[in-house]
Amino acid sequence: MVEITITGTNSITFPHFEVWDWRIVLYLFLGGLAAGTLVMCSIANLRPTKTVEELAKCVRAPLIAFVMLAVGALFIILEIKAPWHLYWGYLTFQPLSLMSWGTWGVPLVLFFNALYILAVLPEEQKHYLRFEFLKRFSDRLKPKMRLIAKINFVAGIFLAIYTGILLASFLAVPLWNNATLPILFLVSALSAGAALIVIIAKDVEIKYLFTKIDVWLIVIELLLIPLYFYGLYVSSAPYKRALEPFFSFKGEYFIYTLALILIFLFLPLALRMKIGEITEFEEHGLPHQFTRGQILRMNIAAILVIAGTLILRGAIVYAGQLIKLSIY
Amino acid sequence: MPRYAMVIDVEKCVGCMACVIACKKENKVAEGYFRTRVVEEVRGEFPNLRMELRSELCNHCEIAPCIDACPTRASHRAKDGTVQIDHKKCIGCKACILACPYDARYIRPDGTADKCTFCQHRLKEGKLPACVETCLGKSRIFGDLDDPESEVSKLLRTHDAAVRLEWAGTKPRIFYVNKRFPGGF
Repeated sequence: MVEITITGTNSITFPHFEVWDWRIVLYLFLGGLAAGTLVMCSIANLRPTKTVEELAKCVRAPLIAFVMLAVGALFIILEIKAPWHLYWGYLTFQPLSLMSWGTWGVPLVLFFNALYILAVLPEEQKHYLRFEFLKRFSDRLKPKMRLIAKINFVAGIFLAIYTGILLASFLAVPLWNNATLPILFLVSALSAGAALIVIIAKDVEIKYLFTKIDVWLIVIELLLIPLYFYGLYVSSAPYKRALEPFFSFKGEYFIYTLALILIFLFLPLALRMKIGEITEFEEHGLPHQFTRGQILRMNIAAILVIAGTLILRGAIVYAGQLIKLSIY
Repeated sequence: MPRYAMVIDVEKCVGCMACVIACKKENKVAEGYFRTRVVEEVRGEFPNLRMELRSELCNHCEIAPCIDACPTRASHRAKDGTVQIDHKKCIGCKACILACPYDARYIRPDGTADKCTFCQHRLKEGKLPACVETCLGKSRIFGDLDDPESEVSKLLRTHDAAVRLEWAGTKPRIFYVNKRFPGGF
């Protein structure tokens, strides 16, 4: 029997961490989704094409990614308790601090993302640009679209994996302090990005391409989640304890068990729907235009994937803070 | 330059909590927050019980995860080897709180992170940290590890000292000695 009484505790660390909340969940989710969207959009735009007009197939996704990342960044600024000191982050770079990587990385990704928006903007939509210099800048960027797409591909991978490494870098949180987590976050971000492209794309081929890509990403994600938990299970005591919220079936932890059940319900269901679509199109060939029913089915599968990504991040952020490295 | 450390002789702690209060008073720690705490740990089955009173505070680790986690160098190592926070630079991102395995940090009302400083302002005046000076059982012993004649160096030479979460690899500078249960914890 061990009985512990502590005099002088701080509520932010006792009895468990109450450090990061839904704002970080949304930051990680929107950041991951924006990253996945940038990567997938770059894949679409970097595919071999014959004419310059065909170059930019994916034109709306960079704008959506930009908005999502900007909103996500706003949430982390809301989470920071002394944002008026934020400029200090730009007067130094700390290579071992993942927060420092984010401080520099997110604005850089936003910058390259903005270039991407201008580079893929079709002629008929240039009138949306209010300023003449932006139109001229957009014209100058257009021939460099492939280079900018490559940069955004790398930026997207960086952003997706960074959100995972950020959590994995915290020694005091056993659930996060795991090398599999960044890879899991990367794959789930890419998967959600592919799903988002499926929703927003109008082109039949693009929808079909990303449905196929997403199938592989979902399969990898479904393999990585048990691997992530297994890695914790075979580790030392605090890491084993970190699994408690998901597998102890205690009333207070019910929400985390439910989250895991939902993830393993949504992702296989989305996978099944997507495989059904691929089989159907392989048998009958790609139509010139999808029917409303087909689009609805594709969108539902995509929403399931995106919801799975949000639940995964939410569950890991909150459950991680329940079990600390120290025993009390 | 000194290499400050603290040895806590858990057998001598009477649980008066004077260290907790002295720290709050000396450092004007806001209401509801603490830089040091006292853990009362009872182990065993009645009537075979063993109790340990243990003071805990920032370990001023030699390999400090809080310093690595800080994006602005607000958390830094001072010239005297202690881990300090420059409140002007702290953005309150709380990364250091999640990095510290000893739960030594908190966010004070102005939004910046805070923790034990080993009463750096007192050390500069040649005084001992407030918790050490006030400790009536003389459980807290403070000194320079690089001075072989300091009380902490002598105690660490003659006793089996333990540190919290040694396997975390942070090389803490708060050592615990317990003559009845050497090795501690």
